[in-house]
Amino acid sequence: MRCVAVVGVGTTPFKARWREKTYLELAYDAAKAALDHAGMTKDDIDCCVYGIYNDFFERQFQPDLYVHDYLGMAPKPAVRVATGGATGGSAVRIGFAEVASGACDTCLVLGVEKCADLFSYDHQSATPEILKAISYTADMTYEQPTGRTAAASFALAVIAHRKRYGNPTDEQMAKVTIKNHKNAMLNPIAQSPKELTLDEVLNSRMITYPFRFYDNCLYSEGAAALILASEEVAHKYTDKPVWITGIGASLDWASLGNRESLYTFTSSRVAAKKAYEQAGITDPIEELDLAELHDAFTGTEILAYEDCFFCEEGEGGRLVDEGIVERDGKLPVNVSGGLIGCGHAVGATGIMQTNEIVLHLRGEAGERQIHGARRGLVQSIGGVACAWTVCIILERGF
Amino acid sequence: MGYGGFDFDSWVERNAKRIGVDPEKLKQAFREQFETEQSIDAPFDVPDRWIATYRYSYGGQSRFFREILFNKRLYGTRCPECGRVYCPPRVHCPHCYEETSWVPISGEGVVESYTTVYFGTSAAVRKFPFICAYIKLDGTDTVICANIEMDDVTKAHVGMRVRAEFKEDRDGMITDFYFKPLVESDG
Repeated sequence: MRCVAVVGVGTTPFKARWREKTYLELAYDAAKAALDHAGMTKDDIDCCVYGIYNDFFERQFQPDLYVHDYLGMAPKPAVRVATGGATGGSAVRIGFAEVASGACDTCLVLGVEKCADLFSYDHQSATPEILKAISYTADMTYEQPTGRTAAASFALAVIAHRKRYGNPTDEQMAKVTIKNHKNAMLNPIAQSPKELTLDEVLNSRMITYPFRFYDNCLYSEGAAALILASEEVAHKYTDKPVWITGIGASLDWASLGNRESLYTFTSSRVAAKKAYEQAGITDPIEELDLAELHDAFTGTEILAYEDCFFCEEGEGGRLVDEGIVERDGKLPVNVSGGLIGCGHAVGATGIMQTNEIVLHLRGEAGERQIHGARRGLVQSIGGVACAWTVCIILERGF
Repeated sequence: MGYGGFDFDSWVERNAKRIGVDPEKLKQAFREQFETEQSIDAPFDVPDRWIATYRYSYGGQSRFFREILFNKRLYGTRCPECGRVYCPPRVHCPHCYEETSWVPISGEGVVESYTTVYFGTSAAVRKFPFICAYIKLDGTDTVICANIEMDDVTKAHVGMRVRAEFKEDRDGMITDFYFKPLVESDG
């Protein structure tokens, strides 16, 4: 396998609605930004991988056809990836495989999502219709008719974890949303930068027990792109390569009855373990400088600390209480603001997270720079109760 | 407004019919776009709808739904090789790659985990809040996702014993049954 570098990144602002741009125009903005960052033109790209999650969001089956066309990438090879919330992470992994295998020397990995063109006329609001479009990921025969939302599938895991280990508590979850919203204040592309108090969070309305309003991530629209290059050509484009030194993925049982447990996510454990093995990491909390974890919900960020082996199983809440995951802590988590503070433009999210780490490793993260960062982790999850996980280790190569 | 003879009301009437929504609600959503002065360069929205209808076959799992619809009975499937009992049923064991056979199950079980949904989708028209639970039915080796009906939803808990209840009006769908707490004090 050849070594693979990220040589350019670009992310549009994440917003509740980009009424002034279609998904094609957002894709263009991210692609242009990444190409400019790498000092490349579209002619330097050998192949493309598109991360686009939900056809109902884009109001288009096979939206990759039209993204590829809009970007003028014809007739290069391209493939669309869709793995729920992990779509962005999976797109990076498939792009990695294209370059590592020698099939291509350079690859544009681009994720884009629009969701708020969906609209419920009965509610005069996008949200119920977005939830509906997402609900079709649940098993249509046995689960979707029960009204089990995506949030419910994660809430069920948090409740099971609480039953066994007594955490995450409401307060620990509140501290995560306060942290991520606050981190977002330093991120110019973030959708929800704000200072929150414990009272505000704990008094916000219940959405899906035990998740209150502020425990949930945001639906966002936006696009993110990165460019991968093989070790042979990376130096042509950058003197600041960031190497992908580990990349692990897993798809667990969709039916929870077949899983090892309801209170841990096996896919995350398998993906993290694989990525750490490849990167030679044995003690992640000591060896990582920062991490972007998929905080679709506060409680699942806390479960992710355990599933990414930052601590023992059952101890996730402790990392919040001890401030370890704060931006000035031992292992800052979600300095971008994460999905809660920066936003969740599904197909783009895993790429936005990757780009965030790349910026820190290159020393280009501006006000929110984690100084001296040399190695970071991205965790991208999706599907019914975290069926999919992709974990990516990125390292500074200069 | 002076848009070259554009008639908002007839546009609303045509499009409400085309996408199958209440004309008043369509009008409400588009009033700002059509009844305020806007630049010709301003973003422009149109209403749309996707719909597909099905005559969906349950295939090898059909008996599960026939038993529910006609007999108010729950069935699972057992693997002849490893003995695992699946409910929801599977025609094939994903561990042994063997064909399973049908076995009756009691309809009683225990809550493995649950959540209470206070805000949901417009796909399921129902009263809020409602409980979604993963229930391990007695005699099975899996969990089934189902609703629990109880007067006080805050009394739901992991470990609660529940029993399947069948609806009067059944459609041949998974929602033809739901669960109730087995112990009165849980309800």
